[in-house]
Parts: sequence; C-alpha cells; structure tokens
Amino acid sequence: MNTNKTVDLSKMEQVLEKYKNARGSLIPVLQIVQAEYGYLPEPVIGLISEKLHMSIHEIVGTATFYAQFHLKPRGEHIIKVCCGTACHVKGAKKVLEKISETLEVSTGMTTKDNAFTLDEVACLGACSLAPVMMVDEDIHGKLAPDTVGNVIKEIREAGVSR
Amino acid sequence: MNIINFVIDDKPISAPEGTNIFQAALDNNVYIPGLCYHPKLSQFGGCRLCFVEVTERKRTGHRFACAHPVSEGMIVKVNTPKVTRYRKSVMEYLLAHHELSCPTCDKSGECGLQNITYELNLAPGRFKTVRSHYPVIRDNPVLELNRNRCILCGRCVSTCKEIEGIGAIDFQNRGFKTVIGTAFDRPLECSFCGGCVSVCPTGAWQDRTLGFKGRPWEFNSTPTICPYCSVGCSIVINTKMDSVRRIVSNDRLGINEGNLCVKGRFGHEFIHSPERIKTPLIRKNGELCPASWNDAIDVVSKRFQQTISEHGGQFIGGIGSEKCTNEDNYLFQKFCRSVLGTNTIDNVSHIKSPYLNGLIYQSVVNGIVSTSLKEIEHANTLFFFGADITEAHPVIGSMARKAIRTNNANLIVANIRNVLFNSAAKNDIRLQYALGSQNVLINALIKVILDENLVDLKKAEISATNLHELRSSLDKFSVKDASQSTGIPEETIRSVSTLLTKPGNCCIVCGKDIEEYPLGEITIKALSNLCTLINAANHEKITASRISLLFSRSHNNSQGVNDMGVVPEFFPGYLDINNASNREKVEKLWGIKLSDNIFRQDAVNVIDLALNGKLKALYVMGENPIINYPVGKDIQAALKRVDFVVVQDAFLTETAQLADVVFPAATFAEKEGTFTNMGMTVQRLNKAIQPVGDAKPDWQIICELAKKMGHAYSYLSAKEILSEIGSITPIYSGINYDRLKRKEFHWVSSFYDKNKPTKYTFEIVQPKSLPMIKRKDFPFTLLTGASLNHQGTYSRHSKALTSIVPECFVEINKNDAQEMLVQNGDMVTVESMQNKIKLKAKVSGKTPAGTVFVSEDYEWIPINLLRDKAYTPVKIYKEAEQV
Repeated sequence: MNTNKTVDLSKMEQVLEKYKNARGSLIPVLQIVQAEYGYLPEPVIGLISEKLHMSIHEIVGTATFYAQFHLKPRGEHIIKVCCGTACHVKGAKKVLEKISETLEVSTGMTTKDNAFTLDEVACLGACSLAPVMMVDEDIHGKLAPDTVGNVIKEIREAGVSR
Repeated sequence: MNIINFVIDDKPISAPEGTNIFQAALDNNVYIPGLCYHPKLSQFGGCRLCFVEVTERKRTGHRFACAHPVSEGMIVKVNTPKVTRYRKSVMEYLLAHHELSCPTCDKSGECGLQNITYELNLAPGRFKTVRSHYPVIRDNPVLELNRNRCILCGRCVSTCKEIEGIGAIDFQNRGFKTVIGTAFDRPLECSFCGGCVSVCPTGAWQDRTLGFKGRPWEFNSTPTICPYCSVGCSIVINTKMDSVRRIVSNDRLGINEGNLCVKGRFGHEFIHSPERIKTPLIRKNGELCPASWNDAIDVVSKRFQQTISEHGGQFIGGIGSEKCTNEDNYLFQKFCRSVLGTNTIDNVSHIKSPYLNGLIYQSVVNGIVSTSLKEIEHANTLFFFGADITEAHPVIGSMARKAIRTNNANLIVANIRNVLFNSAAKNDIRLQYALGSQNVLINALIKVILDENLVDLKKAEISATNLHELRSSLDKFSVKDASQSTGIPEETIRSVSTLLTKPGNCCIVCGKDIEEYPLGEITIKALSNLCTLINAANHEKITASRISLLFSRSHNNSQGVNDMGVVPEFFPGYLDINNASNREKVEKLWGIKLSDNIFRQDAVNVIDLALNGKLKALYVMGENPIINYPVGKDIQAALKRVDFVVVQDAFLTETAQLADVVFPAATFAEKEGTFTNMGMTVQRLNKAIQPVGDAKPDWQIICELAKKMGHAYSYLSAKEILSEIGSITPIYSGINYDRLKRKEFHWVSSFYDKNKPTKYTFEIVQPKSLPMIKRKDFPFTLLTGASLNHQGTYSRHSKALTSIVPECFVEINKNDAQEMLVQNGDMVTVESMQNKIKLKAKVSGKTPAGTVFVSEDYEWIPINLLRDKAYTPVKIYKEAEQV
C-alpha cells in the first residue's frame, strides 16, 4: 500500500467490464476499488473514467464528497480523535497535538511507515469517557497528553491488524 | 401541449405546462433575482435567491421559482417583505465568502452578484472574516479561475458537461471546503470554449484575453458572425477606442444559443496583429515595397489590360475566397467575367470536391437538404458520417448534445478514425469503417432497408423512379461482404438501418471524409438514395418528420463562395453558365455582352491551366492557395509559371509573398456583408471598427479596380450589392439587407416555399470500395482533417490560440507507434513520394493502424506538400534513424 508502488490494474479490468455502460454505477464501483486497494489510486480512477465514460473530474468530485472514499493510501491503523464538544472541553486539542507530534503526522495524513492514519472526528458518542479516541474498532477514553503516547506505543507493539 | 395561465405580481402570464416559474417570468420580462438558473442548462437550485411566494390551490407558501412548475390559477409574488428578507439573508451569506474585489474585477458592471447586491441595497454583512484565500488559477492562456469570487452556482460545471460534453471541472470536496476544480488539482484540460466565462454570474471565471483592457460599460457592442468555421455562430465584438477588446456571445442571437468554440471566443487577436498588411505593396527589384493605393491600382489595371490585349481575358485566372463575404465574392466573379472577360475562376473548396455544388443543389431540388443547422437541435436521430464534429464544427456538437438532452436523440458516428464525440445518448453507435469503404457502408444500409422492408417500398416506388434498378444493382451485393470490407459487424449495420428508418426527424451531417474521398461523388449519390428511400412515406412534401442532409463545409463562407458562382460552371445561384437564357439574363442585368470565353470547358481548374502555361496573370482574393490547394507541388509550380500575381489579403500569406502586387484587405470586423453557413443560412455582418491601416473591404478594392479599367462599378455599400445578388440569384431572391439585421435568411427554406420537390430518380451506384494499394516503402496512409484550435491565417495570428496549441502534430496509432518505438512527443519525419515534413508525434487510439493523421489547418505546416491527388502513402521514421 505504497503510492510509489505501481498499481496493478489488471484486477479491476474485469470488475469494470461488468459495470461498463451501466448508468449510476459509480459509487458501487468506487466501493469495490476501495475494498481492493484500501484507497482510490489515481491510475484506477483513470481506468474507471475510460470504462464508465465519465470525466475523472466528476469521479474525483464524487469521491471527495463522501467521507468514505480516500484518494491517498490509508495506514494500518486508523486513529479517530474526537473533537466534539465534551472532548473539546476536556482538552482534546492537546491530545490531538500530542499524537500528531508523536507520530510526526498532521490530521488527515498517514505516517511514513503506513502504520497510522490520523483523523479528527466530531463526536464518537462516548462523552462520558472524554477526551476519547478510537483506534480501529477500539475506544480509548479518559486520555491525557502525557499518557496517549503509551497507548500508541502499545498498539504499535501489538501490531494488531485491522 | 397544455397552456397554463397564472399571475406573477398581478401580471397575467401563460406558459406551456412543465415550465418552471423562473423561466416563465424570464419569457415574459418579469424579473426574479437568481444566479444559478440558466435557460440552456439543467435546473440546479443552488443559489436560493429565486425564493418567491406562491399561492396555489388556496394555499400560500414559499417556493424556489426555478424548481417549481407553473400551475393553473397560481399567484406568484416576487417581492413580499418576507421574500425580500429571506433573499437579503441569502445574499449576506454569499457575500460573506465573496472577495468583493469589484474595483479591480473585469466582471464589474455585468456581474449578477454585484447587480443583486445593488438592487437589494445591502449593507455590509454581519460576517466579515470567512473569506477564502485560494490562489487564482492561471494554468492556461485563456481562462482564469478565481475561486474566492465563486458562489458555487454550478453553471460552469453544467455548461462544461451538458453543452461542451467534456466535464473538465466539477465540485470538489464537501461543505465549506467545496470548490470548483479539477481532479487532483491538475491543470485545466478542456476545449477552452469559454462557456464557463459566458455563464459565470460572478467574476470567478475570466477571459484572460481581456485582462484589464476595458470595463464592460466602456465597450461598444457589435453583433456579427464568426469568421472561422462554417457553422456561422453569432458573436458580439466589444470594442473600445476603435479596437477590439474581446468577443462575447449572446444567447438570444443567431443559431448558436450563445455557445462558441475556442476560435470564436478567443481567436480575435489577429485583427490588431502587428503582422497585418497596412498599405498596398508593389514588387520592386524583387522586394515587396509599400505603395499608395493609386499606384497599386494603376499597376494592376495596366497589367490586366496588357494581358487582355496581348493574350485575351481567358489568360487571367481568379481564385475567390471561402472567407470573404458573399458581396466580395459576387463582385469578384462579376469583375472576372465582365471586366476581365475570363471564366477561369474557382475557389479552393470547389477545387477539392468539384462535384459537390451540383450534388448539393440537386439535393435541394429533391427536397432532402436540411433547412438550417437548427434542425439538428430538433432531431431524433443524428448521423455524423465522415464528419469530425468535435474538431471541425464544435458548436454543432453543442446542438447535437441539446437534441440528445431534450429529445433523447439517437447518435450514430461513422468515421475512419475513432473520433471523439462525448455525449450522453442512450443509443450511441460508433462505426469505424475501413479506409476507402465509405461507399460500401451506405450501400449496405440501403441493402438492409430493401431486404428487410424497413420502409414502405410501394410508396418508394411511387415517390421515386428507378427503385427496381436500384434493387437489382444491389442484387449481388450482400451485407456480409459489406461487413467484411468495412470492418463493421453485420448486426451493427442492421441496427443503424433500423434506427434511421424509425419515424422522427433525422439529420445526417456529411463530412469532409466523404466530400474529399475519391469516391465521394458516388457516395453522396448513394446517400441521397438512402434519404429518398427513407423519406418515401411522405413524398412530395417537406414535413418536419423526415431525414435530411447537411453538407459540411470548412470555412465561414465556403457555401457562399459557391452560391455566388465563383466556379467555372455556374453563374451565381447555380445557374448553368452554358444555358442561353441564363446568359441573357445575366447580360441584361450586368448591362454587358458576355465574352465567348465565358463558357464552361472541360474539367480543368485554374491551377491546372497555370501549370500548363495557359495563364499569364492570376488574381487571388482572400485565399492562401499555396497552403490550401490540395496538391502542394502543383500550386508551387503553377504560381512560378504565372507572370503576374495579385493577392488581396489581410496578412502577408505564403501566396502573398509570391505576389507582384498585394492589396491590404479588411477583416470581418472591419466590414459589412453577409456569410452563408453550411446550413445555407445567410447572416449579416456588422462593422465593429474602422479598417486597420489603409486596408479596404475586398468589394471596394474590386470596385476601384473595375472603375480604373473603365467600368461603372458604383456600389456604395454591401447592401446595394446584396440587392443585386437578390435580383440575379434565384435562390437568394427575396433577401433583404435590412431585414437580415433582425432575422437570418434561410435560402433552402425559401426554395422549399417556392418549389415543390421534384421526383427523385434513384442513382445507380456501384457498391464498390476504393482499392487501397499497400506499398512496402510507404506503408502508411496520410489522413488529413480539421483542427479545433486552428484554422488558417486568422488563428495563426491569434496569440491565444497559438499559445494553447503551438505545434502541429502527427497522430499515430498506438500499436504502430510501439512497433516503431515512437513515443508521445518524439519528433518524427513524415515522408511521402512528394516531400517530407518533421512533426511531433502524438500517439493515440484515434487513428486506425496503418494510417497517420495530420491536421491541414495549421497554416504554417504546408501539409499539402506531402499530398498527392488521392490518399497519400507515407512513411514515418524518427530523425535519428536517418543519420
């Protein structure tokens, strides 16, 4: 899952052949592509454009509208730091800053080793545990800037895959 | 269609069912503010400004006018206190993001956002700090996008997709971060039609050719006709201090609904190009030197008179212009025939396809020609046969997309190349026929109709003669063979025949690939057979539901120059020159006795005569035959054999450089007159500026020359010439110069009004294909065609166009390129038996294997030097290999 790696298009050729000339099939196609590659690689978007007779600008326009699609490779683990009202009051910004510093990555980006993607979200619905973050499917609550580093370290060591 | 009656602000209004309130108000001059709705685009409903109070079925509520259809008895109020309050708050939000750079914005004065702000008398809003600071995008020579001024109305996105069929831009991201842009912020890759600029209600999209050269309120606006291709779009020239500052479109004018292409909108810089010839030039000691008008006219008249007395008038040849007006061309042929006494006159379009005029006129007589290009918009089926619409006639593409959008039209595109035509047609059939098999394809379509009884053959038998012979001539011909020689599957051929015979309007655009194809004559005859066969059901009348033909022409007045009789076989209006009564009529009107030379001889054109030494002098008006004449080698040799060459043009073209005298001619913006487009619509030009330098309109130059030679050419205006054209030319009779200001003249319609179509006789045409000889030493066939960005002298001197596409290229099939190890952008040599040219390679899937394509519209690339009379065999190699 590295941008530098050339993307293998052959897998998609067949899938796209099936959706060729089918109207309104862009979103399912994008979902299939993302399930395959983990994100929407530029060359694949070019291929979709060719097969579905849509301009790539329209495809990217659609993809960037939905939060579910990503144009850049995602990390092994997705960290969603809650910045909703309760967490904000409890110092979520500082937690976020600390994570960003530890991982050397800014919000919305993926670490160089592709281990983590850091996202900011509005509310995770776990306000009683504020400030809170979600790593993959797990909730980590009552965070503090000086302890959050340990949580990340644990995850890195455990190496649990999504 | 039901008509709905309702009321807007106490004004009773009727509108067809299904119309939205906004459109109905617009049609009835009732103003409702709005920034996103545009009559030619699909409804979007994003700006929220057309909020109105609506009372229907005894209930009062608020609706968006652009999204709400009218209903019987509805009462609409545009300006209640509540509506105004709402509208003001919407504007407050829009302005909170807007840059408000009005003092330095080119749009100021014609800006929708500015106007509504003014109308509503808005004070500074409550939000001041939410302005965005996106960098201004200037990644191309003509368009500029400033997203800080954008209100996300989406008009540009819809225009690009629906009208231009490209979709080069879209909304990117979501929420506050939404912007108009390209995928991955790539540079804009589009046709640069400028449609986005014309529909943008704010200063977000700008025309860079204007760039601080004037404010909208300083401009004088002159509506006129575009000087490039034969679609004949209406344009509006904005001038300030007698100079052209920009070209805009007007949705209400002409045939193009405000749609233009890159040449029409941005290709105007040639008018004030420093390369313009500003004074007459006379060759002295081998050099062209500036001279006075008197001297130049003197030299030319003396030399012409000398030639006439020494050799006879027939030793002077004339080449008319596909770019000059009808009036210029009419006077040109009159001058040649009456003053010089020569019938050796011609024009390049006629030289390229000599049979075309006769066939087109015959088709008009038979009632199978479309009455105007507007028929495309009303078509249910469109068939582009050998026409590369996207490159050659981009605005026809917009009309076709309108038919597809509004009538759900079927589309059939047949071409040698896999030409680009973006459409959303549900039935979109592409036929890529093998080189030389154009004729076979049409006959196969006829064969299917006859075999499968797709039309009422009994009616066809009554409506036209020779059906039996047509049927037997195709007896031995099978669709299977046709499929083999064209390379198109049998079932595709069958489905095309089925589509064409469906009831409804069908337009066939017959393109250059047919007209300039060596078997073009019989192919067009076969095409007429096909049309007549399909029209059999409603013979003897011209109904709306029929199949009709449009003949593609290359230049703005290629049709007009032929209508005006700048050809050896016809007087103006396709009157046979050998016919005694026609001669008498012309003699009477011109008040002269036609010389015996004025007679149609065998099929030799003016250049052939020059080549054989039978021409002593040549008069060329507004044409560059050195580049445009199809066989370059011949024209070069021919001009060397002519003693005295006179050229009148706006630029020192390759032909003008060889001339003995050059007259500076005014361009379209500097003169009056009419152009006839490929839909046979005559449209009027209006003079926007005074001629540049000492230049004069072509007809005035001819008049002065004629007067000097002792003839009374006392025309004072283009109007007088047009009324003479109207009296001499049956097809133009009834034309009125003043009326043209308001309404264009369709000569085919007027012909149909006056004449009943004559009974058609099916032409018996051999369903053969052109034998292609494969040569080992020259393995490729050279195809030539139009280019979107360039067309002749004018585009060459327009900086915007040359900076968008600075270089001509040779298109090579990707498989061929792979074999030859040629990559995109490599310099390659294209060599034919005649000559060679170095060009940049463009590897594509458009051109079929075994062929290469070079556009002939890049005037600085003399592609005719490579060409032979038919398809030219060429070879291609990379430069390094030759060393």
